[in-house]
Amino acid sequence: MPLDVSPKFRPYEVLPSLNVPGIPAVAPLPTGETQDTRRIQERFGDDVLAAGLHVGAQVVYIRPTRLVDLARFLRTDPRLRYETLVDVTGVDRLELPVPEGEARFHGVYQFRSYSRRQHLTVVAPAEGGDRPRLPSLTSVYPGANWPERECHDLMGILFEGHPDLRRILMPEHWPNHPLQKQIPRGGEEVPFTLTWEDPEFETLGKQILPAESVPPKVPPGMDSRRHLIINMGPHHPSTHGVLRLVVELDGEDIVRVDPDLGYLHSGFEKTAESVRYKDFVYYTDRMDYLSGMTNNFGYVLAVERLLGLEVPQRAQVIRVIMAELQRLAAHLFWLSTHVLDVSGTGMSLLMYATRDRERILDLFEMACGARLTVGYFRIGGVSHDLPPAFRDNLELFLQVMPQKIDDYERMLTLGPVWEERLQGIGVITREEALDMGLTGPMLRGSGVDWDLRRDMPYSGYENYDFQVPVETAGDCYARYRVRMEEMRQSLRILRQALDNLPDGPYLADDRKVTPPPRAELDLSMEALIHHFKLMTEGFHVPPGFTYQAIESNKGELGFFVYSDGSARPYRLHIRGPSFNNLYAIDHMSRGHMIADVITNIGSIDIVLGEVDR
Amino acid sequence: MGLEERLPEGVITTTLEKLVNWGRAHSTWPLLFGLACCAIEMIATGTARHDIARYGSELFRASPRQADLMIVSGRVSNKMAPVIKRLYDQMQAPKWVIAMGICASAGGPFNNYAIIQGVDKIIPVDVYVPGCPPRPESLLYALDKLREKQARARLKAQAPSSPPAEEILPLGA
Ligand code: SF4
Repeated sequence: MPLDVSPKFRPYEVLPSLNVPGIPAVAPLPTGETQDTRRIQERFGDDVLAAGLHVGAQVVYIRPTRLVDLARFLRTDPRLRYETLVDVTGVDRLELPVPEGEARFHGVYQFRSYSRRQHLTVVAPAEGGDRPRLPSLTSVYPGANWPERECHDLMGILFEGHPDLRRILMPEHWPNHPLQKQIPRGGEEVPFTLTWEDPEFETLGKQILPAESVPPKVPPGMDSRRHLIINMGPHHPSTHGVLRLVVELDGEDIVRVDPDLGYLHSGFEKTAESVRYKDFVYYTDRMDYLSGMTNNFGYVLAVERLLGLEVPQRAQVIRVIMAELQRLAAHLFWLSTHVLDVSGTGMSLLMYATRDRERILDLFEMACGARLTVGYFRIGGVSHDLPPAFRDNLELFLQVMPQKIDDYERMLTLGPVWEERLQGIGVITREEALDMGLTGPMLRGSGVDWDLRRDMPYSGYENYDFQVPVETAGDCYARYRVRMEEMRQSLRILRQALDNLPDGPYLADDRKVTPPPRAELDLSMEALIHHFKLMTEGFHVPPGFTYQAIESNKGELGFFVYSDGSARPYRLHIRGPSFNNLYAIDHMSRGHMIADVITNIGSIDIVLGEVDR
Repeated sequence: MGLEERLPEGVITTTLEKLVNWGRAHSTWPLLFGLACCAIEMIATGTARHDIARYGSELFRASPRQADLMIVSGRVSNKMAPVIKRLYDQMQAPKWVIAMGICASAGGPFNNYAIIQGVDKIIPVDVYVPGCPPRPESLLYALDKLREKQARARLKAQAPSSPPAEEILPLGA
C-alpha cells in the first residue's frame, strides 16, 4: 500500500477567522461585443449563451455540445485564426449562488491568435452535474492534452474523446479530485504555542509514518517485450528536479518518452483559495523558484486588473527592472545547468554564470532583503522603494555584463562539442509548436515571432525599444541562440529603464487596497483604521474573472483569477509555461539517442516547481 | 585542526573513534538531488561564492550508495515521499539527514493535502535548518552542527538505519 496521508490524516479544522467573506457572487455575464464575438454569434446563433467583453477581455459562453465546433471554427476561419489554445482549466461553482439547474462546473479555455494579436476566453458549462463531462479539444488543438489531463486530475472533469485521460499530477491511487470545493484543503492544525512537553516533540527527528516503495509502473502503450524500458528519475541529476521520465528504447533509439509529473505537486491552487489576495504573492515566489519576481509580476497584474487599479509610473518601471534582472538570472542558471548536462566545459561555466547570478541576487537583496523568494511586488506597486545604492550597483552590473555574455558564448561555440550536441536535436517546426501550445523561447526558436512584452504589452513595455529574437531552425541550438540574445535585449531594456526611472510614489495611493505609510499611522486615526482593516480583513475584489498573461523567462505565465467578491480568490489557476512546454519532450526525443533526452530537457528549461505547482 | 602545532613531534595519539569521526565529519558526501526552491540555494552553496568544498562536502554523489548525507532541500509531496524513503534506505550507514528549510522541517507555507508536514515523518532527521529558503550560510552552519554531532558518535552504538517495525505508528495515531 503506498503512502497515504491524504486529508484523513488529522483533518484540518477551519478556524473561525476575522475575515468577513463578503457576499459570494457569480461573475457577471459579458457585455457589448467585438468583431470576433459578433462573428462567433453569427455562426453559432443560440448556442452562444453569452458573448462580449468582461474585464476588458473577449469572453464567449458556449453550449458544451458545440465546443469542438467552435474550436475548429476559431482555428480554421481565415478571419479569426486562433492558432493556439494556451490554457484549459475549470471552475467548481459549488459555493456560488448558482441558479437552480445551472451547471456546477465550468470549463474555461484561453485561445490566442498570434497573427491577429487577439485573445479569447471561452467558457463552457459542463454537463452531468457532480460528474462533469466536456468534449475534449485534443482533436483540434493537440496541445490540449496535458492541460485537460491536469483539469481532469485536479477538478474531476471528464474530457470525452481524450486519447489518454490518466491522472497527471496526483498519485494514481489518490481518492479524490482536490480542487473540487467539497474537498478540504487538508494539512494539519498549526499549534501557535509549543512547550517542550508537547507530544509533538516526542517524535522529533524520528520516523513516524511508513512510506512504502511504490513499484514504478510502465505507462500504458509501451511495449516492454520488444523494447527496453528505462526509468529516469525522479531522482536523477539531469532531470532538473524531481521529474520522472519513462523512456522506451529500441536499441539506442528512443521510441517514446512518457513523463510522470507531480513529484513536487504542492497544491498552490487549492491553497490560494484559503489565503487573502495580498498573501498569495508570497506563494508565487515558490512556484517557479528561479523567477520569483516574474511570478509576482503576473499575479499582481491579474489582481490589479480585476480591481481596476492604477499603478504609479515609478512602480511600473521598478517592476520592469526586476523582471528583466530576473530574466537574466534565470537564463544564466539555465545556461549553466544546460552546459553542465551537455558539454565538456561544464563546471567552469557553471561557476562563472552563478557568480554573475549572485550579483543579480545581491541587487534583489538590496531591494527587498531576499535572494530567491523575494515577495517584492505588492498589489498596487512594490513593497519598498529602491535603496539609494541600487542605481550605482545596477550601473556597474550593466557595464560588466555584456562582455560576460560574449565570453560565455565564445566559451561554448569555440569548442566543437556544444554545437555538435545541440544542432539538429529536438527539432520542432512552426506548425508543431503552435499545435502543442508552446510558448516563450520554445516558440520563438521555431520561427513564431511573438513576445507578450511587445505584442500585448503590460506595465509600460511598449515604451522600451528592444528586439524579439526569432530563429527558424527549431532545434536546441536555435533555442540556445534565442535565449542568449534575450539576455542582451534584457540588458537593453534595463539600460533604458534605469535612465528613465521616474520619481514619485512606488505604491498606489488607494487606501482600500494598499496600507498607508508607517509614518501616517501615528498621526491619523483614519490611516490606522485602514491599516487595521487591510491587515485583518484584506480587500474585496469585485466579482468577475480574468486571465492575465506575461512573458516570463520560460514562456507565457498566465494567472486565471475568479473572484466571488470576497477577500480571497474563489479559484486561482496558474498556467505554467514549463508545464505546457514539457509536453514537447516526447515529440522532441523520438528517434534520437538517450543522451539527447538530457539535452532536450535542458533546452525546454523546466522548473519542476512550476510544472507540478 | 591545529595539526601544525603538533607536527614537530611527528606523532599524534588519539583514539580510533576520534580518528574515524574526524574522517567522517570532514568528508561528508551529500546525495545529489534537489526538491524545490531550497535546492537552488543548495546549489548556490556548492558554487563559487559559498564554496561547500571548504567543508569537504563538494562531492555530491548521484548514487545513494556512495552518499553519507541526505539534504532534503524542499517540500516533500505525497508522491515523492516513498521515493525519498527508498533513497534513504539505500544509503549506507552511518548516514545523516539535514532537513533544509521550513518545508522539509515542518511543511512550511504548504499546509495542505499535497505536502507532507515535515520530512521527519518518513525519515529520521539530524539537523533542521530554518528559513525559506535558508541562506547558503545557514546550510553551512547546519553542516557545522552536523559535525558536532558526528564528533560525538560512538563507534559501537551506531544508530539503527531505520526504526524497528513495531515502532512505526499507524496512520492517524
Ligand atoms: S522552505 Fe521555502 S524555499 Fe524551501 S522549499 Fe519550502 S517554500 Fe521553497
